Amino acid sequence: METSLTLTGVSWRHMVRDFSTWKPWAKRAGAGIHSIDLEINKGTILGLIGPNGAGKTTLMRAICGLYDCEGFDKPSEARRSEIGYMPEQVRWEGNVSVKHALQSIAMMRDEEVDLDAIIQTVGLSTKSEQLLDNLSQGMRQRLSLACALIGNPKILVMDEPLNGLDPLAQRAFCNLLRTLANKGVAVVISSHQVADLEALVDRIALLHHGQLLIEGTLGDIRKELELDEESGIVEMICSATGIDPEEVSLQLSNDDMLPFKTLGGEEE
Amino acid sequence: MSAFRLGWHIMKERISAGRMMVIWPLLTIFILFASWGLSDPNLNLPASIVVDSAYDVMYVASAFILLSATMGAVLISFDGISRDRLSGVLEVKLSQPINRSMYARALLLGHWGAIWLPVMFLNVLSVLIIWHRIDDLPSIEEFFIHTLATALVLFWYTSIQLLASSWAKDLGSSIAIGLGIWMIFTLLWLVFTTVIAGLSGVGVDDLNSAEFVRIDAFMDLLSPNGLYHHILEMHLDNVDRGMSPWNVGLATVIWSMLPAYLLTRRIERIHP
Repeated sequence: METSLTLTGVSWRHMVRDFSTWKPWAKRAGAGIHSIDLEINKGTILGLIGPNGAGKTTLMRAICGLYDCEGFDKPSEARRSEIGYMPEQVRWEGNVSVKHALQSIAMMRDEEVDLDAIIQTVGLSTKSEQLLDNLSQGMRQRLSLACALIGNPKILVMDEPLNGLDPLAQRAFCNLLRTLANKGVAVVISSHQVADLEALVDRIALLHHGQLLIEGTLGDIRKELELDEESGIVEMICSATGIDPEEVSLQLSNDDMLPFKTLGGEEE
Repeated sequence: MSAFRLGWHIMKERISAGRMMVIWPLLTIFILFASWGLSDPNLNLPASIVVDSAYDVMYVASAFILLSATMGAVLISFDGISRDRLSGVLEVKLSQPINRSMYARALLLGHWGAIWLPVMFLNVLSVLIIWHRIDDLPSIEEFFIHTLATALVLFWYTSIQLLASSWAKDLGSSIAIGLGIWMIFTLLWLVFTTVIAGLSGVGVDDLNSAEFVRIDAFMDLLSPNGLYHHILEMHLDNVDRGMSPWNVGLATVIWSMLPAYLLTRRIERIHP
């Protein structure tokens, strides 16, 4: 299988404010991602799963060149020209039209783009002259998708793209992703709507505390974790993180679930 | 793709923003009415202020340009980056393959153009008003100097405000930083100058004394508003505060480069 992007030991830690009376400006390394090895393959839909705070968004941003971290087989600017990124819940607003907003993004890619075709693809044809302030959240999601599709990206990175979409739009969205994957586009997607995700993805990467615990097809992961055929993504997360599925609570994202390794390898 | 093209696109977006409904009347009242009032042939001004040519009127009216146009620059730019950051749009923009420094230049040009074009339009109208009132026009050189100085002071304020907008994590902080800086340079600078003069042993009871004027001229190099007046004064024969054109030129270069450079560095390193 042809690889679109290879990650080798990708690490990144957010700098968070370290409240101190004497040094109010001081910062310290906070949560992040640690030594992620991953291959993003052409024509494959890869689902990133994990509890809140696992590092899915951080990994996606790192892939998209938003953080200055090493470990990729392509430099940041080259990656950005190949990737279409759809962040989670963008609140488009302003006194400009949908088309104007798309033109701004198209200009930043410096490519000839058929915006009307993209607008039609995402179902915004009747809204293209509408002001951003008047869009519903679902329409804003479609606009974010349109931005990600500008420039025929080789890799699509989508963070919770199904949020805010109605069921029909979700189905259409999944169909579109499958069509794009069949054309050779590599798709990386995260979603907490696990039923849709299970039906959509070819491979799964399970993250917890910024570490990649397991990666493979659903079948491979079930086999590896010794789960039965009926097991879904929730059972996979529970099994990989050591949680009893019957006792799942909101504590899942607490820091004491896994030994938290620093970039140097020692445990914190 | 050039920064100019993207900047033009940003400018169109900003100039059509709802807040221009406030900025246009503000600029119109201050710039046009000041030109009308100050070009009254029967006007009585303090003896030290001589107004007997079109450029003299433009120079005196420049105080009103400072009050309104720089406030306009603040109002246009205060959310130039912070709003995109809060809404998540900045994440979409930063993930595009555009060079970050080029994006910074486009932001700067777009926001600057959105305030400079209206001010420029009203300045041309004010020249026509002055012509109508006192039957005198500025020379091309005088008009150029006035236009250049106005363009520069708006550029400085736009750079500073965008930088503040990139630091601020919310819109409130952004407008607070921007308005705070504007108030310091526009309303409080004379107080700072007086304090510095007092600490330097210069009597502050006579603001026209040679020593105070020298300190005032120096302090003005450190303020965009003061530097704006230094540039305008370079063409006035009856105003001499003893500041060398080289110092004014150097300060102009520093004010034009430093905030813009800091903004570019900030955009190159910013995280969504």
